[in-house]
Amino acid sequence: MPKLTIDDSEVEVEPGFTVLQACEQAGIEIPRFCYHERLSIAGNCRMCLVEMKRSPKPVAACAMPAADGMVIRTNTPAVEKTRKAVMEFLLINHPLDCPICDQAGECDLQDQAMAYGLDHGRYRETKRAVKDKNFGPLIKAVMTRCIHCTRCIRFSTEIAGVQELGATGRGENMEVGTYVEKALASELSGNMIDLCPVGALTSAPYAFRARSWELRKTESVDVMDAVGSNIRVDVRGAEVMRILPRLNEDVNEDWISDKSRFACDGLRYQRLDRPYLRDGGKLRPATWDEAFAAVAEKVKATKARGIAAIAGDTADCEAMTALKDLMAALGSPHLDCRQDGAHLDASHRAGYLFNTSIAGIEQADACLLIGTNPRVEAPIVNARLRKRFLAGGFPVALIGKKTDLTFSHKHLGTTPNVLDKVASGAHPFAKVLNKAKRPMLILGMGALARQDGAAILAAARKIAEDSGMVNDGWNGFNVLHTAAARVGGLDLGFLPGKMGGRDVAGILDGAGMGEVEIVYLLAADEIDMDRLGGAFVIYQGHHGDAGAGRADVILPGGAYTEKNATYVNTEGRAQVARLAAYPPGEAREDWKIVRALSAVLGKPLPFDSLQQVRARMAEINANFAHTGVVAAPWGTFGEEGRLDPAPFASRLANFYMTDPISRASPTMAKCTEAFVNPARRRTGTDG
Amino acid sequence: MTERVLLKNTANPDFHRIDACLAAEGYQGLTKALRKFSPEEIIQLVTDSKLRGRGGAGFATGLKWSFVPKETERPKYLCCNADEGEPGTFKDREIIEKDPHILIEGMAIAAYALGVETGYIYVRGEFDFGARRLEEAIREAYREGYLGKNIRASGFNFDLHVFRGAGAYICGEETALIESIEGKRGQPRLKPPFPAIEGLYGCPTVVNNVETLACIPHILLRGADWFKGIGPEDSPGTKLYCLSGHVRNPGVYELPMGIALRHLVEKHGGGTHSGKKIKAVIPGGVSAPMLPESDLDIDMDFASLAAAGTMLGSGGVIVMDETTCIVRVAMRTIGFFHHESCGKCTPCRDGLYWASKLLKRLEAGKGKKGDVEELERLCGNIFGNTFCPLGDGAAMALRAAIKHFRDEFVYHVEKGKCMVS
Ligand SMILES: Cc1cc2nc3c(=O)[nH]c(=O)nc-3n(C[C@H](O)[C@H](O)[C@H](O)COP(=O)(O)O)c2cc1C
Ligand code: SF4
Ligand code: SF4
Ligand code: FES
Repeated sequence: MPKLTIDDSEVEVEPGFTVLQACEQAGIEIPRFCYHERLSIAGNCRMCLVEMKRSPKPVAACAMPAADGMVIRTNTPAVEKTRKAVMEFLLINHPLDCPICDQAGECDLQDQAMAYGLDHGRYRETKRAVKDKNFGPLIKAVMTRCIHCTRCIRFSTEIAGVQELGATGRGENMEVGTYVEKALASELSGNMIDLCPVGALTSAPYAFRARSWELRKTESVDVMDAVGSNIRVDVRGAEVMRILPRLNEDVNEDWISDKSRFACDGLRYQRLDRPYLRDGGKLRPATWDEAFAAVAEKVKATKARGIAAIAGDTADCEAMTALKDLMAALGSPHLDCRQDGAHLDASHRAGYLFNTSIAGIEQADACLLIGTNPRVEAPIVNARLRKRFLAGGFPVALIGKKTDLTFSHKHLGTTPNVLDKVASGAHPFAKVLNKAKRPMLILGMGALARQDGAAILAAARKIAEDSGMVNDGWNGFNVLHTAAARVGGLDLGFLPGKMGGRDVAGILDGAGMGEVEIVYLLAADEIDMDRLGGAFVIYQGHHGDAGAGRADVILPGGAYTEKNATYVNTEGRAQVARLAAYPPGEAREDWKIVRALSAVLGKPLPFDSLQQVRARMAEINANFAHTGVVAAPWGTFGEEGRLDPAPFASRLANFYMTDPISRASPTMAKCTEAFVNPARRRTGTDG
Repeated sequence: MTERVLLKNTANPDFHRIDACLAAEGYQGLTKALRKFSPEEIIQLVTDSKLRGRGGAGFATGLKWSFVPKETERPKYLCCNADEGEPGTFKDREIIEKDPHILIEGMAIAAYALGVETGYIYVRGEFDFGARRLEEAIREAYREGYLGKNIRASGFNFDLHVFRGAGAYICGEETALIESIEGKRGQPRLKPPFPAIEGLYGCPTVVNNVETLACIPHILLRGADWFKGIGPEDSPGTKLYCLSGHVRNPGVYELPMGIALRHLVEKHGGGTHSGKKIKAVIPGGVSAPMLPESDLDIDMDFASLAAAGTMLGSGGVIVMDETTCIVRVAMRTIGFFHHESCGKCTPCRDGLYWASKLLKRLEAGKGKKGDVEELERLCGNIFGNTFCPLGDGAAMALRAAIKHFRDEFVYHVEKGKCMVS
């Protein structure tokens, strides 16, 4: 381990450290603009220059490998002078328009200028101005503020894997932008806003909406996919102003997807802020008492087996626990949390988890993707796959719809026939998996949410077993969920009961035939509402989406930013979302609604506090008793059977709109327009 | 008159043809190398010759070659730097246009010594004629079996390509040159890793100047001692000096390393064409700090010029007579560097922008009190802080102009006009 002297004290650092990292370890802060620990080293801003013994010139701390015996000085007048010089240079062409810049208050340039800037400008020449670029609907670009650190370029080429951003022009004419005037097509583009040290790239939807110091910050988790990205929710008053990533090395590192970041303006529209009752065919506002009374009346008139419940994709674990217990108290076995009909087998937890873990991807050395497009289903997982790919020695193959994953892979085919061939060992990629030390596969909902889903699950299990994906300390079998609620629902057993319980298809069939008379939709909007027939529909949720449109009674609940709620991500990691703003109007936290209704129905649930609900969750499944992930024991799951030759279909047609919140979001609508339907816009035939 | 080595055939208008070359000593160095020397012996020979790179920095060529890993599974590359963008420099062009085969031969020998099978000649974008000459010469060399597979039945393979630059000066910097060949934006790379370990496409790469490589066949044929016998001990050989500016006989001169600058300018260059007194001379391209007339008694070699605070650089000698306005020279020089700054690092990109604007204003007679001090401060803030030597070179050039001719700058500030015209 190299030992070096920094400002007269000795530090010993890990091999491979840079001088900058060594300084950090010694507790010495080195100012920087271009350096970012997750990006390649550029060494271009020169803010981090320090003195090194025997070097006639200062060295860039961010780029200099720490070596044994080095003597570094960071606190000399010369270093101070250099920092001031660089700072002054950066500011001569900077517009200094902080009063009208959204970055103000959290701007690295502003902060460093306080430390190293002069109190007056010496620059007497004219400033340059740069034409602003079109970065698309998410990023507002004010390129005159750009300090050319190239973080955004490195992020897009290295992490996001899109080669559309770069620098053009030399010297003073150097400009950062997309080479051709077009929006940056990446599901991760918003991260450039966080990376940009100045106000050159700021959030377009958030533009001029708030000042950073007015915001109340709450640590939470995201529900726009099943990754469970850690987020920070910034609120002013009752309004969510923006969502930012929160570091979690195991899950999302420093990043979040554009949907996780930008769909939050959907929280302002189409909200259910009071109960509603259908009266003469039309929904009318009602009081809680009226709504509960209507439900009670209907329940009293219905046999237990005529009642069913479906939990949607963003339902929280507390609410599902309450509803499951209520259904049990009412005596109904008909409940399911698999809106898409995915043939997930809850008998073995390993059969429905992303067992490798997201961080574990970095240890894998071969990967087979089946019926999934991680780039749209879980951009964060895709970024990990790309990171692993860039490290080399990671052959990836895809069975499913051909697509651009941002890293190269073999497309083996689109149908289960190919899967069969791999499972039988006849396919060349089977050899690749066999040869690998830590192979992995990822099974998407596109492979499970079909008639032969159980057989596909079994085939995937066979591949995993045959190629040695499951052994001591390694489990390469992975299910990639798309619904934030799904693993929690499976863990809680929000599934058809033993006594002839109906699954989602069974509930819909039953409703169509009049056998199911009451359907309780807990934030379930992705089913075919037309198939509910004449059933009495209770919709509990937060948006006026498909479910509310069909409902006979609406019980307004809270969105994920408005409740203290548990979500279990695709890895099986239980995490909590925290109340950042209260639900609007008369809407309430969801488990409390079910608890209140249970009393009206004469079946009061035995919990009155969040602690009690959570204790009940841990009672149902011990996994709720801890955070983090535990290895799930292997078992036999799936059902061997004939595979349907129909090609795997992609489950998500439009990344930007997948749930009631993103569907209500004006920003996501703009993205859909810009990225999903651009051809349509160009031809103009749709009016 | 000393013997011409590199330019001995350039007076022959047909010497760009391989027939003419072969009729003289053409490709005999390569043939000898392949028959009589192991690759290691060639590297040793070049090391013994004490040849130092002619691209500007004067790095020992043999040493550079020795850094390239011997045992590696990756391909290795040899790049010839024919970007020749330094103002006042036009020597490589002479070789490329008039004796392209000596370069090809030098590259083939170097490739053999280094275990390289693919080479590139990175030709300055403006050298269209030179690039076509090279392409034609390469075709001829393939035809005659001096390039391609199994050269001279030795089992040695070498493919050579011409890569045309797009006219950016920075692409002459070796790592920017590599980026450019890779199809990327021309700007310098971080070092380490050095090109010898990770260069073109991440593989071991040697970048050498045209003139450096053109010396190789001669060293092969005549030996290290012969080469060492020319010029000073620590930087031997002949050197191509480019004389331009207010000089009576401009042109490329091949003379021994270490010749006195005054002798070069006055005897070979014939003094100023106007007969007026010399005011200053830039000895090695515009990155090299200028010397006032009083300092001309200096030897043109790496060590002597460095000791005088300037450098041999590319060997581009620019003569200025007493009618020259140094403020204008500074403005033009900094204007050039500002225009050619790649934009990567802050001190060069923004510092030269500032200095250039200030100099333009000063030259136009709109100088303000404190401008000269401001320029000096800018030089101090740029020098040593840039990513690559371009910014440093600019700062040094400006600093020297102010140091030697401060009164002219002050005159511009105070009188709002030029002292000399
Ligand atoms: C800004 C800049 C421009 C350069 N331009 C050239 C050039 O045009 N030709 C050249 O041979 N070397 C040029 N160099 C030097 C090269 O980086 C490199 O040192 C040289 O090609 C090595 O060849 P040599 O060892 O044969 O001298 C330049 C260096 C810098 C910093
Ligand atoms: S836009 Fe921001 S991140 Fe990109 S180069 Fe400019 S300052 Fe850096
Ligand atoms: S000094 Fe910096 S800006 Fe100037 S050419 Fe070199 S890398 Fe580019
Ligand atoms: S942080 Fe080191 S050069 Fe920018």
